Amino acid sequence: MTAFWQATFDGVASGSLYALIVLGFVVIYRATGIINFAQGGALLLGGYITYNVSTSWGWNYYAGIVLSVLVCAGFSVLLQRAMLQRVFREVVGISAGLLGWATLFYNGATHLVGLSGGVVIGLLGWFATARIEARYGDRGPSELPLFGAIMVTIGVLFIVKQVVASIWGFAELSVNDPWELSTSRVGGLVLQHSKLAAIAMAVLALGVFFLVDRYSRIGVAMRATHFDHEAAIAQGISTKIVFATAFAIAGGAAALAGSAATAGPELITPNLDFVVFFAFPAMIVGGLDSPAGAVAGGLLVGWLQNLVKTYIATTPEWFPIEDLDWLGAGFERVAIFIVMIIVLMVRPYGLLGTEEVRRV
Amino acid sequence: MSTDSGPEHAAPAAPGKGAPRLRLRPATTMHVRYRDDLRLFPNRLRRSALAALILIWAFIPVFWDVPPFTLLSGNGISLNTLAYAGVFSIAAIGLNLLTGYTGQVSLGHSVFLAVGAYSTAYAGSVWGWPMWLWIFFAPALGWLLGAAIGPFALRLRGNYLVIVTLGLVFIGEHIFRNWRSVTGGNAGTSAAGVELNLGFVDFENLSLFGKSFGKDESFFWLIWLLVAVVAWLTKNVVRTRPGRALQAVRDRDIAAEIIGIDVGIAGYKTQAFAWSAAIAALAGALYAPLQLFISPGDFTLLVSIQFIAMIILGGMGTIYGSIIGALVITALPRLIDGISADYGVPGVAAKSTDSGLVSVASLNVIIYGFLIALFLLVEHRGLAGIWVRIRNYFSTWPFSY
Repeated sequence: MTAFWQATFDGVASGSLYALIVLGFVVIYRATGIINFAQGGALLLGGYITYNVSTSWGWNYYAGIVLSVLVCAGFSVLLQRAMLQRVFREVVGISAGLLGWATLFYNGATHLVGLSGGVVIGLLGWFATARIEARYGDRGPSELPLFGAIMVTIGVLFIVKQVVASIWGFAELSVNDPWELSTSRVGGLVLQHSKLAAIAMAVLALGVFFLVDRYSRIGVAMRATHFDHEAAIAQGISTKIVFATAFAIAGGAAALAGSAATAGPELITPNLDFVVFFAFPAMIVGGLDSPAGAVAGGLLVGWLQNLVKTYIATTPEWFPIEDLDWLGAGFERVAIFIVMIIVLMVRPYGLLGTEEVRRV
Repeated sequence: MSTDSGPEHAAPAAPGKGAPRLRLRPATTMHVRYRDDLRLFPNRLRRSALAALILIWAFIPVFWDVPPFTLLSGNGISLNTLAYAGVFSIAAIGLNLLTGYTGQVSLGHSVFLAVGAYSTAYAGSVWGWPMWLWIFFAPALGWLLGAAIGPFALRLRGNYLVIVTLGLVFIGEHIFRNWRSVTGGNAGTSAAGVELNLGFVDFENLSLFGKSFGKDESFFWLIWLLVAVVAWLTKNVVRTRPGRALQAVRDRDIAAEIIGIDVGIAGYKTQAFAWSAAIAALAGALYAPLQLFISPGDFTLLVSIQFIAMIILGGMGTIYGSIIGALVITALPRLIDGISADYGVPGVAAKSTDSGLVSVASLNVIIYGFLIALFLLVEHRGLAGIWVRIRNYFSTWPFSY
């Protein structure tokens, strides 16, 4: 029984990470109807910024988390404005910033100088374009078709991953966090402090989100926009602000998940973005447009993953098949996809997702 | 310009005396009869242009060392690269049939490629099957797998389907890594023993008109011959009744169902999956002997995304777009590799020991991402769309329509 409870604890810990990641997907999906693969980029960026602040610079770990949440929220909003709504001044600003950063870096500037120079150049480009648009009229936002938007976010994920790898390298790095390897023992269970912290962070963030979503003006606006886009606009809701808020929440949640996933004994590498792919089953099982489903799906998938892992290593006596080694190492990652497919066959819109009414 | 198409009712009023003679020219961008719209070759010019292109392409292996082609061969692109591009063209045509024409986005295409490759490696080297057998065996297996996965698309749509096909890649990769007796596990399996002999032609040692050619040349011909066959068959499917049914499903599946298109368990959606998978498996069957050694690393999610990049870059819902896209996406990395090794590109490290902002491999991934984003943002019909615009501009020149 100890094995079961240990797996449950570990499962809740990884499940709360999944819940954070999935929350980002769900919020964006609810607002705009796209699955934002670039969440993986925000997760990576968040993890590495926390690493950089807490380990390379030696500042406070929590300051690193706050900074990474802010930067990733900004990154997400920029992505949405420039790539998905195609606001011209943002496209120009980002291109100018990237070019400036690459030029500075190639001419021997350090990362800090290169990055801040890039930001300055980007802002200059943004303001210049804004001035020109103010004088000659702007093109206005033009939204991409759904499939296009999803593919663009995949493209962004690739680019961010390579940029992150070129800044911090491919090596596995250890983050200097307050928990290190410390553990507590309760009964026969080993409770890693970093996992407890991950659960606490997720509970805190999700709690704040649900309060905002339920009671604040912007939360009501987000739900209204999901419910009926055009009616929401007619009621005076600014979809621009709603979209930006949704992306900011998602970016922040991803940064938090990225920081929590690399705390304690875990190491950080540019392959961290694969966590996002394993969060997909959680998202689908819970339902694409339900934040409560994100939590339920995340916890369920995290729990199942750890149960499968535990019981494949030591097959319980009551199980009819004695040896499960033929399933191969890492089967728990595949098992959740199989569970996802089974759930989808029974409920095509996930456990808590709303069924889409289809008309001709 | 042809005389056999064009509006029949467009005869102008009889010109007055002394007025300059008008030359009647068909409106090549507008058809008034369905038959004209559906023709494989709308006019003689296009037919001869295609014939000329095929002829030039067929002689590439012979003239590979002769000037204009040395521009390519001198910069890292070999015949082998073009053979890979051919294999990926076949797979991209399959994906375009599914995604471009039927509207079912699949991130699982690399799995079908892998099934074809592994089954060929196993049937060819372990069972020792002859070429005419394994070249049908792989597509048959792919067809079965596609037909098994197709029904999922009946119940799921849009984003949910994308994620299920994504799951397919992870499940597939896990199986390839763990079914060691067939796939060789992480280390992979060799396809060197696969027989490449059709009886009357031996692709390892081909002799034509008294000249003998190596494997590179003969493989180029074999693969591009199959590209032509697959492209021709698929083009005929998509321009006739089944193709129109597929496009109706793409545009709105409920509406398609209402006008009597079968979207049931053996209907067009499932069949699109099955045939798309079969075509990808055929590509895999050629990939194995071309690559000689296949391992699970060859069939990752990145490969699926490359296929998506190919059809987006080339043009969704066009056959020749898939081929153009495959050529560009396959050749680009080698070109960058060749150019940065010879001349050096600012900020790119050609070797792992060089210092630079990004490595060549990273740059390639960035370029895929960038190209996908760029084409979707700027020209969502891809290179094919650009080409159609240029063609239409000149075919009605000097008028605007």
